[in-house]
Amino acid sequence: MTEILQYVQRDGFFHRLAPLTKILFVIIVGTMSIVSTSIPFLVSVIIALLIIAFIAGLHREVLRQFFLIAVMSVILIVITVITLPGGTTFFVIGGIIPITTGGLLIGIIMTLRFAVLITAIQLFVLSTQPRDLVHTLERMKVPVDYTLMFVIALRFIPTLQIEGLRIHEAQLSRGYNPGSGVGGKIRSIAPVMVPLVSNSLARSNVLGLTIDLRGYRTKVRTPIRERHLNGLDYAVIVMLVVVAMAFTYSTFNGLV
Amino acid sequence: MIRLDSVSYAYPHTGKPALTDLSLSVGKGQCVMVTGPSGAGKTTLCLASAGILAHEFGGKKEGAVTIDGRDVKNYKDLSDIASNLGIVFDDPEAQLIFTTVEEELLSALERRGFQVDEIEDRLRVIMEMTKLTTLKDRAPHTLSGGQKQRLVLAVTLALGTGILILDEPTSELDEHGTNGILEILKGLKAQGRTILIVEHKFLRMRELVDTLVVMEDGRIMASGAPDEVIRDPGVQKIVVPDFSGIRERTRNTGETVIPELLILVKGISHTYGEDIHALYDIDLTISSGEFIAIVGENGSGKTTLIKHFNGLLKATGGTVTVKGKDASTTTITELARDVGLVFQNPDHMFFADTVREEVAFGVDNLGIPDRDAVIDHALTRVRLTHAKDLYPRWLSRGERQRLAIACVLAMKPAVIVLDEPTTGLDGKEAREVMEVLKELQLAGHTVIIITHSREIARDCADRVITMENGKIISDVMTPGVLS
Repeated sequence: MTEILQYVQRDGFFHRLAPLTKILFVIIVGTMSIVSTSIPFLVSVIIALLIIAFIAGLHREVLRQFFLIAVMSVILIVITVITLPGGTTFFVIGGIIPITTGGLLIGIIMTLRFAVLITAIQLFVLSTQPRDLVHTLERMKVPVDYTLMFVIALRFIPTLQIEGLRIHEAQLSRGYNPGSGVGGKIRSIAPVMVPLVSNSLARSNVLGLTIDLRGYRTKVRTPIRERHLNGLDYAVIVMLVVVAMAFTYSTFNGLV
Repeated sequence: MIRLDSVSYAYPHTGKPALTDLSLSVGKGQCVMVTGPSGAGKTTLCLASAGILAHEFGGKKEGAVTIDGRDVKNYKDLSDIASNLGIVFDDPEAQLIFTTVEEELLSALERRGFQVDEIEDRLRVIMEMTKLTTLKDRAPHTLSGGQKQRLVLAVTLALGTGILILDEPTSELDEHGTNGILEILKGLKAQGRTILIVEHKFLRMRELVDTLVVMEDGRIMASGAPDEVIRDPGVQKIVVPDFSGIRERTRNTGETVIPELLILVKGISHTYGEDIHALYDIDLTISSGEFIAIVGENGSGKTTLIKHFNGLLKATGGTVTVKGKDASTTTITELARDVGLVFQNPDHMFFADTVREEVAFGVDNLGIPDRDAVIDHALTRVRLTHAKDLYPRWLSRGERQRLAIACVLAMKPAVIVLDEPTTGLDGKEAREVMEVLKELQLAGHTVIIITHSREIARDCADRVITMENGKIISDVMTPGVLS
């Protein structure tokens, strides 16, 4: 089973960064990718992120998600090309749908932004223990309920994957053959999703009680094994600020 | 330490009370074990005793609950109660929030106002005590059911409360794992901790228990010193699983039946991913009319083996033949006609609105003729005719287990395989399930069960296969059965 968005225990440089630095990293990289419309720039950011992943020892996990990104990219490009025509028309499908340079360009830009955001967030989640994230967001005065919601959503991804697989196996054992492809996936929704959702709802009650009983929502906390900013963090923050300033300057002067 | 006076409770939107006029007292340093059929109100009793019903649940409440001499309503909130009392719920998965074992423990400890040194000490001691030290960097979803149960217990113990409430803490454990928990609980009792435990394994826990409470329909049916309580034959049926006489049952039809070879396993191995070897070179033959128990500790390869019988898993080496068909090239749907598999958790399969529709699902998938008659027959066999129009998830655990059997039985497979069919059931319900399985064997089915219970293997099965580390280490006929 491929694990999606789960923390991995490593000793890479990204793991050694404080969560605050990594949050700043995601915000700056994400903002640049959303603001920029330059394909060469967005491609450079993706290459830079892959190099960072390689240095951080997280390239295997990051590359594994590239299949998902590729599938989503194709869907994004197709939808954009169909729904946002503009510029020169290459050809017309079935006499109705024009394939245009404008549509294609916007599709490619959206896809590249999507890839940048997913990869940056992935680097952050793969290298940050939820406990450190909770502490950091707590210090940033983010309400603890939102933080726990985010942490729990991530934590239960593999549990739901495993449970979904077990339910699927149980239904296959009952002679269920939804068929392959998209049609099969749609047909298999009720027999798999109904038990999955019912079991998860039953579980949410205990989860809520556990959060209250362990005092995760209280303000009391002994500072132990804290992640403070260190020399590496300051160096990375300075680099991020320089990159952000250079990007802002280039954008306003039409260089990017 | 815990006192319930005439407590009655009904969940919101339900007519039937979950607890009725229930009084119970758990003294300091005492261990009180609560047992009874599923749906008797044991979990609700835990919630009431922990003050959770008073603080978090709506519904109709009567009576008084005190913890440590203080009415639960006078505690500020659950976090306040949790400084005196720790509770472990029956679903370990829902109580694990963080991504490693150590992080889970640390996150709970740092919220208690302990000093840094004390937290480090408690962390070290509790991980050693619950044998989690070597697992400290593992993610919750990579742990076995037993390891998860040990971890949620460890988190609660780490907080050092004087009172512990444990709701079926050994339900997913084999004998070895259960003994491990028992040793921990014995140590806690020796330290003077007060323990209220819901359990079905009375015989394993006997030496720990001061007071045995048996519940039925939200009331206390019997309560007192264990030896006195179980003298009542009605109570004994529930508390002490008794499967005697099941294996010996025969149906004398006067015909001589020649066993037919149904499953032939030749030298199979199975490897998960690149390097997790789950099965090594297994050889096995299974014939018609057999009743086989597969035993072995958690992780010994039992479930992996049975998943090869209906094609859910394909062997990475060797061959599996089911009624002459090569399992590696036959579809799961086709194999489902010959081999029915009932998983450990029946809730993994239910999605229909009624019990009848649930059974109809498999019948319709395979296009079995005489649909209605087949469904009725299956429901009669598992004694669930009365519940045919009910929503499956409203049934008790024992009834849901029998419904899962009916779902597979209606598909008329020659072989019925069940993974831990008595998990979470009391003695009476477990016997009912085993009696149903015996009747299926007598009706001509081959029955294969995975079980942790030595008693079930000894008293119900004709043949016992023992697995260890992915290998079959013994395959013997039960004493008294002619091979």
